[in-house]
Amino acid sequence: MHKSWMKRQSRLGYLFIGPNMIGVLLFFIIPAVYSFYLMFTDYKFMSPETHFVGLDNIRRMLNDDLFGVAMRNTFVFLLAVPVSMGLAFIVAVALNKSVYWQKTLRALYFMPYITSGVAIAFVWMLLFQPTSGPINGFLRGIGITNPPGWLSTTEWSMVAIDIIWIWFMLGYNMIIYLAALQEIPEELIEAARIDGARPWQTIRQVIWPLVSPTTFLLLITGLIMTIKNFGIIQAITQGGPGNSTTVLSLFIYQNAFRYYEMGYAAAISWALFAIIMIFTVLQWLGQKRWVHY
Amino acid sequence: MRIKRGLTGLIVGALMLGLLAGCVGKNETNGGDNGGGAAAGKVKLTMWGAVPPENGPQEVVDTWNAKNPDIQVEYVRFVNDDDGNLKLDTALSTGQNVDLYVNYTLTNLDKRIKGGTALDLGEFTDYNIDEKMGEDAASWKVDGKYYGMPTKKNAAFFALNMKALDQAGLSVPTAWTWDEAREYALKLKATGFKYGLVQHTASYVDPLDSVLVKNGYVKADGTSNLDDPLVTKWLETLNGMMKEDATTPPLGEQLTSKMPVENMFLGGESAMINIGEWLIRTSNNMTEFPRDWKIAFAPVPRLAAQEADMVKSGGLGDFIAINSKSKNKEAAWEFLKWYADGGMMPMAAGGRLPSSNAVDQQTAIDHLLGDYADSYDKESLEFVLYGDETPTFVRSIAQEVVDLRAQEYEKFFLGNQTAEVTVQNMVKRHNDWLKQNQ
Repeated sequence: MHKSWMKRQSRLGYLFIGPNMIGVLLFFIIPAVYSFYLMFTDYKFMSPETHFVGLDNIRRMLNDDLFGVAMRNTFVFLLAVPVSMGLAFIVAVALNKSVYWQKTLRALYFMPYITSGVAIAFVWMLLFQPTSGPINGFLRGIGITNPPGWLSTTEWSMVAIDIIWIWFMLGYNMIIYLAALQEIPEELIEAARIDGARPWQTIRQVIWPLVSPTTFLLLITGLIMTIKNFGIIQAITQGGPGNSTTVLSLFIYQNAFRYYEMGYAAAISWALFAIIMIFTVLQWLGQKRWVHY
Repeated sequence: MRIKRGLTGLIVGALMLGLLAGCVGKNETNGGDNGGGAAAGKVKLTMWGAVPPENGPQEVVDTWNAKNPDIQVEYVRFVNDDDGNLKLDTALSTGQNVDLYVNYTLTNLDKRIKGGTALDLGEFTDYNIDEKMGEDAASWKVDGKYYGMPTKKNAAFFALNMKALDQAGLSVPTAWTWDEAREYALKLKATGFKYGLVQHTASYVDPLDSVLVKNGYVKADGTSNLDDPLVTKWLETLNGMMKEDATTPPLGEQLTSKMPVENMFLGGESAMINIGEWLIRTSNNMTEFPRDWKIAFAPVPRLAAQEADMVKSGGLGDFIAINSKSKNKEAAWEFLKWYADGGMMPMAAGGRLPSSNAVDQQTAIDHLLGDYADSYDKESLEFVLYGDETPTFVRSIAQEVVDLRAQEYEKFFLGNQTAEVTVQNMVKRHNDWLKQNQ
C-alpha cells in the first residue's frame, strides 16, 4: 500500500513538473547538447554544407588574439560585482536604521534595476559625454583639468561600463541585503553593545558574518549574471572603441549572429561555460572558510 | 485506483498531444494562407523591407493592391541591423512567408544565395535588367547571374552650406582630393562653424573602399592589400583634421555619443557633411530643421592624385530578391517589375531614387525635393546624381573584414597606436581571415 502510494505520488510529481521539463528539454538541454556537437563542425547559418572539423574551432579560439582580449575585458567587467556588493551592504546598513526618507531612498536605489536597459544606456552615454557631459563637467569643476574620455577611449571604456553595471546592480543587491539585515535578531546587536562594541565593530564582527550566506548567494548569482550579460554593452559601445569593451558573451553574439559562425561561437560558448563552472566550484569549495549558516 | 492511474496517463497524453497539435496547427494555418488564397484565384505576396511603412512602402503596396485585386501584397518591415537581418534569414531558412525581400548589402545577399533562398532571375526573359538599370547593375551580379533586381540609385556625396561657401569665396567642386577637402574644411570653419566637416558613419570608410576596389583588396600573391599607401594617407589626413585642424569631430566622441551629424549640418554647426541621398529626408523637414541657406552638392573627394584613378561609392541599391521557395514566383516577378519601373516612386521623397531608365529623371528629382526645391543648388545636385561619370562600386567585402578594419583604425584615431602599427595589424588580421576563409 505504502509503496504504491509512493509510486503514485511520484508519478503525480512528474505530471506537475512535466510542462516545465518539456520547456527545459526543448529550450535548454537539446540546444546545449546540439551546441556541443556544433563546436566540432564548421556550421555557418544559411550555409548549405556543414563539415566535421574536429578540434579546429578550439584551436582557432586559442590562437585568436580577440579571444584573449575578450577574456581580459570579461575579468575587468567582473570586478563590478564585489564593488557593487560592498556599496550595497553599506547602503543597506544605513537604510536599515530609521533615517529620513527611508522608503523613498530604498525605492530610488532599486529604480535602476527595473528600468529598461536601452534607456539606461542612452542616459549614461549622455552623462559620460567627454566634452559636454555632466560627469566631466563636475570633474572639471572640482579642479581636474584632464578628466577621462570614458566611453570614447580604449583605456577608460571598460571602467565606464563597470560604473554603469555597479549602479545597475546596486539596488538589487541592496534589497537582498536589507532582507538579510531584518532577519538579524535584535538581541545579538544589543548584546554586542552591552559588551562595549563600537558601531564599526558591531558591523564587522556581528552583522557581516551573520549575512555571509547572503553575500555568498549574491556573489555567485552576480558573477554568473555579469559574465553572461552583453545587452548593456551591445547597446552602449557594441564592443568598441577598438575592441576595448568586447567581453566573451558579446564576442559569442558577434560571431554567431553578426558573422553567422555558429561552430566557432559554440566553441566560445563552451569556454564561457567552463569558466562559469570553475568560478562556481571554487566558490563552493571556498565558502566553508567564510560563510556561516 | 486503476482508473485514476489511467486518468493521469490520459492527462499527460492530452497535454503532449496539445503541445504537438499546437505546433502542427500553426504550420497548417501558415501554409493555409497561401494555399487557400491561390485556390480562390487570389495571390497573397509578402514583401520584406527595412524602410518604415509610413516612409513610402505602404503607399506603394496600397497603390498596387488597388490596381491588382488578384495579387495582394503585404509589406513587412525588418530593421536593417544584425538582429533584423537575422530575423529575415531565419524566416527565409525556416520557410515562413517571404516572397520578396530587399537586400541592402552584397554581403547579406551572398549568404542568402548560398543558403538557396534567392531565385535566379535568369528564368524570366521579359525584362532586361542590364538595359533597364545600366552598367552599374552588374556589380550586383553573383557568378554572372542576377539573383534579384537593384531598384534604387545610390548617391554618396558631400553636402555643403552654400552660404558659407560664398562667404569663404569657394566654388562648388566637381572633382577634388582629400587634401583639397581638408583645405575647404579649414576655410569654412573660419567663417564661424564649430566643424568644417562631419561624416556619417555609413560613409566613413568609403575612401578606403574606393582605393581597395581600384587596387584590389588582395594582392596577386593572395595576401592582404590593406597596406596600400593610400590607406595610410587616409588615416593621416583624417587624423590631422581631428587633432591638428580640429575641423572634424574626434571619432571616439562621435561614436560614443552617436553624434547626430545630419542635425549638426542642418543646424549650422558644420559647413560640410559626407553623406548620401537620405540626407534629403531630413533636410526637407523644415519645421524641425529650418534654414535660410541653400545646400550645394559635391562628389566625394578622392585619395588618389589622378582623377582617372577614382572609383566612387554608389552604384545601385535596394536589391530585391524573390525567395526561391516562394509559391508565387510569377506574381512576385510581376510586382517587382512594376515596383522597379516607377511603382516605387512614393519612396523617392525619402531619398530612394528609382534606378530604372523607365523613370524620368526630372520626375524623380521633383519627388525627391518636394516643396523645397528652391532650398537646394539644383545644378550641383543634378551633377552628383546624374552628371558625374566616375565609375562606382558597391561594397562587397565580408562583415568580419569591415569590423576588423574599423577596430584597428578606431584605435589609431584614439591615439592608441601609430598609423604604421594600425596598417600592420589590419594586414595581419586580414591575412588571418583570408586563411580562415580559403
